[in-house]
Formats: sequence, structure tokens, C-alpha cells
Amino acid sequence: MSVQQLSRPASDAAPEAAPPRRPARRPRNPDAIWRVYFRKPLVRIALPILVVIVLASVIGPMLTGDPFATNHPTFVPPNAEYPLGTDNLGRDYLGRVLMGGQVSLLVGFSVAFLCLTVALVVGGLAGFYGGVLDTVLVKISEFFQVIPGIVLALVAAAILGSNLAMIVIILSVTMWPGVARIVRAEAMRISQLGYVESQRAAGFLSLRILWSDVLPNAMPPVLVATTMTVARAILAESGLSFLGIGDANRPSWGALLNQAQPYISTAWWLALFPGLCIFIVVLAINLLGDALNDALNPSIGRVK
Amino acid sequence: MHGPVATEVGRAAGHSKEISHAAHACSTVEPERGRPMKAMAVHLGKVLFSSVILLVVVITILFLLLELAPGDPIQTLVGDVPISDALREQIYATFGLDKPAWERYLIYMGNVLTGNLGVSFGTEVPVSQLIGERIGNTLALAIPSFILSTIGAVVIGSIAAKTRKRWLDTLLSGSAVALFSLPNFWLGLMLIILFSITLGWLPTQGKAPYGVEGIEVQYMILPLITMATSELAFKARIMRASMIESLGQDFMDTARSKGMADRAALWRHALPNALLPMVTVAGLSLSHVLAGSVLVERVFGWPGMGLLFIGAIERQDTFLVLGIVIVLTVTILIVNLVTDIVYGLVDPRLRSRVTRPVRSEP
Repeated sequence: MSVQQLSRPASDAAPEAAPPRRPARRPRNPDAIWRVYFRKPLVRIALPILVVIVLASVIGPMLTGDPFATNHPTFVPPNAEYPLGTDNLGRDYLGRVLMGGQVSLLVGFSVAFLCLTVALVVGGLAGFYGGVLDTVLVKISEFFQVIPGIVLALVAAAILGSNLAMIVIILSVTMWPGVARIVRAEAMRISQLGYVESQRAAGFLSLRILWSDVLPNAMPPVLVATTMTVARAILAESGLSFLGIGDANRPSWGALLNQAQPYISTAWWLALFPGLCIFIVVLAINLLGDALNDALNPSIGRVK
Repeated sequence: MHGPVATEVGRAAGHSKEISHAAHACSTVEPERGRPMKAMAVHLGKVLFSSVILLVVVITILFLLLELAPGDPIQTLVGDVPISDALREQIYATFGLDKPAWERYLIYMGNVLTGNLGVSFGTEVPVSQLIGERIGNTLALAIPSFILSTIGAVVIGSIAAKTRKRWLDTLLSGSAVALFSLPNFWLGLMLIILFSITLGWLPTQGKAPYGVEGIEVQYMILPLITMATSELAFKARIMRASMIESLGQDFMDTARSKGMADRAALWRHALPNALLPMVTVAGLSLSHVLAGSVLVERVFGWPGMGLLFIGAIERQDTFLVLGIVIVLTVTILIVNLVTDIVYGLVDPRLRSRVTRPVRSEP
């Protein structure tokens, strides 16, 4: 398609039409990163799946009826009327799984967003300026490497309360150093490069250089790490709520699994579907992250 | 893909310096005595010191968190019944709750230094005794699953790297991503549904039939699989990347050019070099396994430290929670220390100038 558009002015051979045409649109770059990205077969599978699940979770509960209504028969296996069956209180399980998706996805994306924000600020400053902040960041990330996040999150959530906002904050606190370390490493690397040096020579403020050059150029690996953080946050949240630590009013997929465990010998569908959703979403996000990594660093992982 | 041999030979010729370096890394260097050993000792001393600092920070943070906990531990203890002020005073005095927080903190730190982890709230059983009863069960799952997953990861990662970009690699790498994305407690639930409930082959809960001491093997199978899979996937991915890098190094060209068979070169040169980063990853993985045992033990009703930990959190059993975290942290710190030592021992390049290896996150 792009070839046709490019070749048209020449083949038309209309000299008066050519001058206004040329600056109108930049020629499409078939090797633009996002184009390479969307050409990947895995992306073409994983992205629609993720989009469908996100949309179903957001819109779905409006269509399936009240997920809290207990006016259905109890323990109905999946059938035409109840595609995912009903639970022990006679609630339509499809509605509950979709509701759970809202919570799990919300937690996953907001944790990743928070981590990215904090990591860019702290990691960027630490890597670019070094000094005390850098030492502190290194120590903090060592701390979180030693203490398993889930242990800390369990204690913190049990104590500070387990509403949705608190879970997001706790998970972000345990996960941001992972992203920040990558920002720091990239910022350190970039701050040694020639274009930063020439900007310094040109007299730009160092904060401006950080904002305009260092951080944008640090983004590729950081974006990949952030994508993976979404997946890790969803997994971590599901683990916490499986252990009974989560917002009781808004059961996530993990909380549904927690509630399903006592009925596991009779009602297999209660345990199957929420976990399957977690698995598919996390897998899709991990695949998208891997593909993003490939698209951003084509040289890494390629067979020579 | 045209002319890979030509490019590889060209690269090999261009990097003769690196070849000698790689050959140095592969050959067994006489362990030097004197200065390197001293450097190692200084390094370990530093690591030990920062480990102790870290432990103190962990205890302090958790102590503060537990101080902040809302709710009345006494009410949790006696249940939902009103109690008299006199009794309350008495219980406070028994457990030392009448003192201010900082004083209790100092007393507790002093006790920890002498190896006394306090008593469990309410039952007055020493925390160390409670942990001692359970830690064996946790390790009985964690260590075999760690060993199995490490061996499996090395084998699978190497095969995937060797057959890269062919169907076997695609299959193995794809399964690794899939296993890595599984919530492993859910995998446990599914295994129970399949093997215990539907097929009736294996028991669902616990470590042995009721009233039987010890651990029975068929009770271990499902928890082991559950624990090992995600770690297997995590390590296999890293092993594959490490092996691919190792296979692409110039010393492999050297090995081939001196007429070494592919398989022999893989065993003699590529594998040892690819295993180096795995030392660090294995240390990390062991701490994953220990932390993950909370979930796995919950799924299988396995009476280990994880179940003890969940119960302690629910009961607000401060000293028990702290005690378990301390034991866990100390274990992980020891594992890290061992990882450091092993890394220094197996990498000849590090014997002369010891630096702390950079740990990678999953």
C-alpha cells in the first residue's frame, strides 16, 4: 500500500500537482517499531485476546445482570443458560468472573502505572545524578530482593487493611524497585553518551536534559519491564486474595479461587474459570512484553 | 542466513583477544593463594555486615507495622466476650504489653540477638519451638522442588538453546512462558481436581494419613509439581538465554576450529560458561520457592511454615510473624552468601578480583 502511495506522484507526471503533495505527508516507514510490533503473529493473537477480556470485564457485568443476585439455583454446572455455572449461593458465575476481572485488571494496570511513575522519577534522578539518592536506591532495591514481596505484602495488607487502594499501594511499594533499577541503569548509560555531553556543553539545565533526552531514550527496556509488571502484579494480587487478603466487597479472580476451594470436590467450574482467566491474561501480557522486547531490541535474542 | 560460517570465522579472527580470554575462562586456573583469598574474605565480611544491617531493618519495619496494627490482640485472644480491666492488665503484664513500644522493641532486639524469638501470643509456646516443628515440612517440599526444577531448567534450557528457532525450541520456550504465567496455586487446585478428585490417584490434603507421623511420598507429588513448575519455567528461560549467548561466544568457534565435536564442545565449554549466571539465579529461585510455599501449603493443607505464617497473621500473633520472617530472611541471606561464595569459586575470572555479582529479577 505504501509503495503505491509513494510511487503515485511520479507516475502521474503532473508537474503542477507535485509541489503541494510532497510535504503533505511523510512517507510511511514500514520498519517503524510499532509497525514491526503489530506485524508479529503473537501480538496479533495476544492483543485481541487481552482487549476482549478487558472489554468483557468492563462492559460485561452490565449485560449479565446483577453478579450479587442469589435468585438462581445453586451449584449448576456450566450450561447454555449459565455459561460458567452458578456458585454455592446461587449467583451467576459468569457475572462474578467478569466482575473479578475488573478488580484484577485494575490492580494490575494501576500497580504498573504507579511503579513506572515512581521508577522514572527515582531511577532517573539516581542514575543521572548518582550520589546519595543512588546509594539509597541501590540499598532499597537490595532490600526488596532479599525480602520476598509476597511476605511483606501479606503482613502489610493484613495490618494496614485490605481495600483495593491499599493493595495497589502495597504491591507498588514492593514492585517499583525492579523497574527503578532498569531506569537507573539506562540513565547511567545514557548520561555518558555524546549527545548528553553536547547538551551539557550547550548549557542546558541538567533537569531539562534528563527530561528531554535521558528519560525518552531510556524508555524501551523500561516499557518492557512495566509490561511485565502488569502481569506480575496480577499474579501477586491473585495470590494475596487467594490467601484471603483482598477487598471483600469486590472479589478479584484470586478471591473467587479462595471462595471456590471448599467446593473443589463438587464444583470444579468454580475453581477452573477464574484461574483460567488469570492465566490467559498474564500469558497474553507476557507475550506482548516479549514481543515488545523483540521489536525494540531486534538484535537481542536473534540467532546469528 | 547466508554464509554463517564465513561471518563467524570473520568474527573469530577479529576478536583474537577475546578468544584467549575465553580460553582462560575455560581452563582450570590454579587457585592463587594470598591476596585473592584476602580479597574474598574482605568481600564476604562486607556482605555479612550488610546482611546484618538488612536483617535489623527488616525486623524494625515489621515491628513498626505490627505496632500500627488496628484491633485489640487481647480480644482476638479471648474471643468476642467482654473482659474486665483487671484481667486485661494482667494479660498486658504477662506479655509485656504495658511497656512503651520502643522499650519492647529494644527488649525484643536484645532477645533476638541471643537467639530468643519470644513466645507465641496466647499459647505461650516458644516461637522457635513452633517454627522448629514446621520448618522440616517446608524444607521437605522446598528443597526437592528446588533441585528438580534446577536440573530440569538446565536440561530444558540447553536443549532449547541448542535447537533454537526450530520446533522443539518453539515448543519448549512456549511452554516456559505458559508455565511462567500460571498462577501456581491455581495449578495446584487443577492438579487436585484432576488427579485426586477425578482420577482418585493421589490424596488431596496434608502430608500423611490422619494420625500418621512423618511424610508419605504420594502426598508430596502434587505439591512438588506445583512448586517446581513456575521455578522451572523461570530458570529455563534464563538458562536458554545464557546458553544461546554462550554458544555464540568466540571460544565455541575456537573449539570447533580445533576439531572438537559439537556435543563435546557443548559439554566442555558452553555448558560451564552458561551455568555461571545460573548460580545467582538459583539463589534467587530458592528464595522464591521458600516464599511461594505460603501459597502451595495453603492449597495442599501442608503443615509447614507457610500455613503457620498465615495463621499467625490472622491471629495477630506478633512474635510468631516476626519470628517466621526472621527465620526466612536469615535463610535467604545465608543462601545469598553461599551464592556469592560459589560464584567466586566457580568463576576463575572472579578469583582474582572479587566483585558482587549483579542479581537479575524475574
